[in-house]
Amino acid sequence: MTGFGAFLAKELTEIRRTWRLWVMPGMLVFFGITSPIIAAITPALVQSMAASQPGVVIRIPPPKSLDAYAQFIKNLNQFVLIAVVITGASVISGERSAGTAILALTKPLSRRAFVVAKILSQALLLVTATALGTVACVVVTAAVFDGADGGRLVTAVALWLVYALLLVVVMTLFSGAFRSRGAAAGAGLGFYFLTLLLSSWGPAARYGFLGLVPAMRDALMGQALSLGWPLATAAAAIVVAGAAAVGIFERQEL
Amino acid sequence: MIDARSDEAAAIELRGLTKRFGDTVALDEVDLVVRPGVVFGFLGRNGAGKTTAIRILSGLARPTAGTARVLGHDVTRASDVVRSRIGFLPDVPGFYPWMTAREYLGFAGNLFGLDAATLDARATALLEMAGLASVNTRVGGFSRGMKQRLGIAQALINAPSLLMLDEPTSALDPIGRREVLEMVGSLRGRTTVFFSTHILADVERVCDAVAILERGRVVASAGVAELTDRATANRLVVEVEGDGAASAVETALAGRAWLKSLETTGRTLRMSVSDLSAAQREIPAAIAAAAVALRRFEIEEASLEDVFVELVGGPEGR
Repeated sequence: MTGFGAFLAKELTEIRRTWRLWVMPGMLVFFGITSPIIAAITPALVQSMAASQPGVVIRIPPPKSLDAYAQFIKNLNQFVLIAVVITGASVISGERSAGTAILALTKPLSRRAFVVAKILSQALLLVTATALGTVACVVVTAAVFDGADGGRLVTAVALWLVYALLLVVVMTLFSGAFRSRGAAAGAGLGFYFLTLLLSSWGPAARYGFLGLVPAMRDALMGQALSLGWPLATAAAAIVVAGAAAVGIFERQEL
Repeated sequence: MIDARSDEAAAIELRGLTKRFGDTVALDEVDLVVRPGVVFGFLGRNGAGKTTAIRILSGLARPTAGTARVLGHDVTRASDVVRSRIGFLPDVPGFYPWMTAREYLGFAGNLFGLDAATLDARATALLEMAGLASVNTRVGGFSRGMKQRLGIAQALINAPSLLMLDEPTSALDPIGRREVLEMVGSLRGRTTVFFSTHILADVERVCDAVAILERGRVVASAGVAELTDRATANRLVVEVEGDGAASAVETALAGRAWLKSLETTGRTLRMSVSDLSAAQREIPAAIAAAAVALRRFEIEEASLEDVFVELVGGPEGR
């Protein structure tokens, strides 16, 4: 891991000094604030639309804090994961095409350290942004609704974070494996949609990391969770994808 | 070969170095030795294989066959050791646009594990040498010449034993080119500089020794002066008087064993010979036998360009 500390410091400084500081945290905080508000006004919006249609009566129960949390989790699973794919696509391919990787890797910086620092810096950014977004969601939900139970949300978000971290590592793998960031993004979107699709298939959800997706919903509903297989397979997948990312990048000619 | 000092490991030693990309042979059993302390020009036209060789030497690519040793170490086996002792500048250096020049030198120095005091002192000296000491803007706003000068500065941050520069002047304007060449020239005696280029004037200006690469093969390797002297010793120019005199001499010399090539322009004949003393004896005799008046007969000074053209066979190659 030659040069790991210096390169990780560069990565963290880059996050602080460029647009990367604003995109992921901004998105998470935005959804943290807007999810409770959308949950609160959705019934009124639907009823006003129904009022304009003669004969149509829609009864919607009064919104609760759980609706706000469910909206936040839905946004995480859709928009934020796609943002993870798009930003992750250029994490190595961008450095390669800009020529910055060549200049750094001809110094005492191992390719393993390069890849691990990329993964770790993205993970730190994602964890921080998720924490900020979750706090924003809990605070706004408490302000908009009575009796908000933040514990369920924290559990659901923690499960989402495991899945999102797996996606970060997979995108680092794709970004190193493919020459173009477009190809990496395409592969990442394919992975995202495929896993989303397969998560509704019983055996995959029971014995694989795909079970994290329905587990988020169960966590919000306060149901008993069976997380052994999903968490173990997610951890294994993170290790395997990370090792593959390092192995592929180490064998590449730059 | 060049400045041979047998007690010191060669800065670069290539033995049978071969690199293939599918059916394309980029390097074809290249043998080359670069002695420590010289400014070495690695000359060849675009596509000759210079960048491929430098990529292998810097650990960015692997050879298909043969060995590449840098400072006594096999680059494929001791990449960490090699990287810690070399400085490298690619033809188009890529910098993080959000950094300043000093920040980039700090980043590079940290990768080499320099302590803060050493790093600060070196960064200050190198920025001064690169003419960037007073520039505080981000690298993203730098001109090509400024980036190239910063590129050399970052390649020197570890006080390397070997500095490898890939086409450092190819895309610069005349002023930028002069600045970079002055920087390279100022390193003579302080480190070994391995400098690839297709610009002959740059080599003549700063290099002590040169290797000429053509289609993946080294076709010549020697000191710059030795190479031009060698070519000079084989080139003669003859000027005669009278219409038709030049063609009469050409006819008289045809078929001589020492005559490698002959080119006639008006009344002037330029020839390349394999045996200078035989040519010096036989040419005046042939001219006299043809009853032609001799106006000028001399050995022609060769430039590196003449050598290059002779070895690589002109614009289309051999």
